[in-house]
Amino acid sequence: MTAPVAVTVERLSKVWPDGIRALDDVSLEVREGEFLAVLGLSGSGKSTLLRCINRLIDPTEGKISIFGRDVTSAEGAGLRALRREAGMIFQQFNLVKRHSVRDNVLSGALGRTGTLRSLFLLFSDADRAEAQACLDRVGMGDRGDSRADALSGGQQQRVAIARALMQRPKLILADEPVASLDPALRNSVMRHVEALNREEGITVICSLHDLDLMKRYATRAVALREGKLVHEGKPEDFDLATLKSIYGQEAEFGFEAAS
Amino acid sequence: MKRVAPIPPSLGTRFLALLVDSLLLATFLLMGEFLGRALVFPVEEGSLRTAQEILERLHYAALGGAGLLIAVVWHAARRLLGGTPGLSFAGALPQAESEVPWDLTLRGWFTLLFVELTFFTGWLVTEVNLGTFFTNFDKAAGVIRGLLHPSGAVLFEGLILLIQTLFLAFMATAFAIPPAFLLAFAAARNLTRESPAAKFVYTALRTAMNLTRAVEPLVWALIFISWVGIGPFAGVLALWVHSVASLVKLYSEQIESIDRGPMDAIKATGAGTLQVLRYGVVPQVIPPFLSFTIYRWDINVRMSTIIGFVGGGGIGYILKPRVDLGEWGEVGTLVLLIAVAVWVMDLVSARIRERIV
Repeated sequence: MTAPVAVTVERLSKVWPDGIRALDDVSLEVREGEFLAVLGLSGSGKSTLLRCINRLIDPTEGKISIFGRDVTSAEGAGLRALRREAGMIFQQFNLVKRHSVRDNVLSGALGRTGTLRSLFLLFSDADRAEAQACLDRVGMGDRGDSRADALSGGQQQRVAIARALMQRPKLILADEPVASLDPALRNSVMRHVEALNREEGITVICSLHDLDLMKRYATRAVALREGKLVHEGKPEDFDLATLKSIYGQEAEFGFEAAS
Repeated sequence: MKRVAPIPPSLGTRFLALLVDSLLLATFLLMGEFLGRALVFPVEEGSLRTAQEILERLHYAALGGAGLLIAVVWHAARRLLGGTPGLSFAGALPQAESEVPWDLTLRGWFTLLFVELTFFTGWLVTEVNLGTFFTNFDKAAGVIRGLLHPSGAVLFEGLILLIQTLFLAFMATAFAIPPAFLLAFAAARNLTRESPAAKFVYTALRTAMNLTRAVEPLVWALIFISWVGIGPFAGVLALWVHSVASLVKLYSEQIESIDRGPMDAIKATGAGTLQVLRYGVVPQVIPPFLSFTIYRWDINVRMSTIIGFVGGGGIGYILKPRVDLGEWGEVGTLVLLIAVAVWVMDLVSARIRERIV
């Protein structure tokens, strides 16, 4: 028995105006409830792929649909409705630094809030209660009044997860969510992403460059090299030979000496 | 990543280069004629006295045509003579040629000679006269002595009008904020890349603002004086127009330098355009906007003095007649008041701006 399809990517290509081919004929399918890791070197197209899924970047060719609805041809209100389905987490957190933690989380509700109200940050009591619940969930419930830039990197990323959760998403796109964090703090952030996946059944697509994290959290992984999808499989399928084919023969891995 | 092959110069570029060369060469020849007439034949035709008279007699058509002819010849023989200054200006010089040291090219020597010729011609055209500069000092000494002995007669009136000047500059700035704030978003390149219509608005707005800024506030003052009459309100309007144009430029450049990350994050929540601007852009630009606005007030205080000269209210309005009558003591008082005000504004605004950013 297989779960229904969450995301379909068909023959996706992205060519930048300067002629650089960031994605080259990538096809993949993600099923509901999966935690898919996307591996690859910097510049291999991981970030471009994630940003095409919610159309922060317009693809050059190919088709993407999420939960059966076409993203590539969506415009205006239809596109915004699709974006609401997919919460996004960024390497640089991308919080509004001068806003409070609470207002940052509330901005996750913008897609369902009237424009005029939201211009004056007038959110309903129900939204405020929901924002508090989201903050509690990531262990930041007591920091609602702090300014976002007063927090540490790990705390900012947890607030960003709360913001994504506030969207009530069915999908989370996480673009290198822990790459700017101290290695000791990475699991504290990844565990929150994992909890959303396990407990809420939210599908997660997460680009990572840390193989240990991939093996620990992902249910499946794909690898990109120079914009092409070069490998796909269970985390345990990524053995040394496969990794060298993804990262190049010069690459060295921590577990190599041990094995 | 593939290296892009060099693009051969287009017809438009070649035409631009030829135009520039023709103008350069024609100017060169005309300056040559000017110097020749002024130095070698100073009394030719018995009536040449001033630079203006020489300028009236230059052979514009003939030497202009000659310039064009030489430019065409140089372009045709460029393999022999090397690239022209116009080709260099238009960016159409082959890589190999632009790497040659300047003193090995005809282009380089021509440019050097051109600049020297400009200096000597300029010396005569502007009637530089070091003799009078060093000998006629005693007349100016009277003015300076007056300025250094301020008269108390206009102190009170000057203070009142100085207060008016500060308010005039403040109102011009305050009125400028709302339109400049709104227009700045449409004049920011990073927000107007998406559609051709937005690009057009960007270009049109930038051009309009540049033209507005190019017109001196003094001219705006004359326009508004005939519109709303002599007085401080005309000055407010004149500085307002200029402030809107300047603030749109400063604000929009600030918007162009924001961190794109929060914008993307807000967009990803499914927010609409206005919401993305409100949450992703505005919080980032408010502190620098405040800083620029205070700086603009500071500039407006200085400008309002000159605006007053032509009837735009403020302290300049009583300064002008005293300059005309040579009441140097009273002029000294007013100049001193302005200097103190500008100095204080400068200190205060620098301090506030430091605190904000």
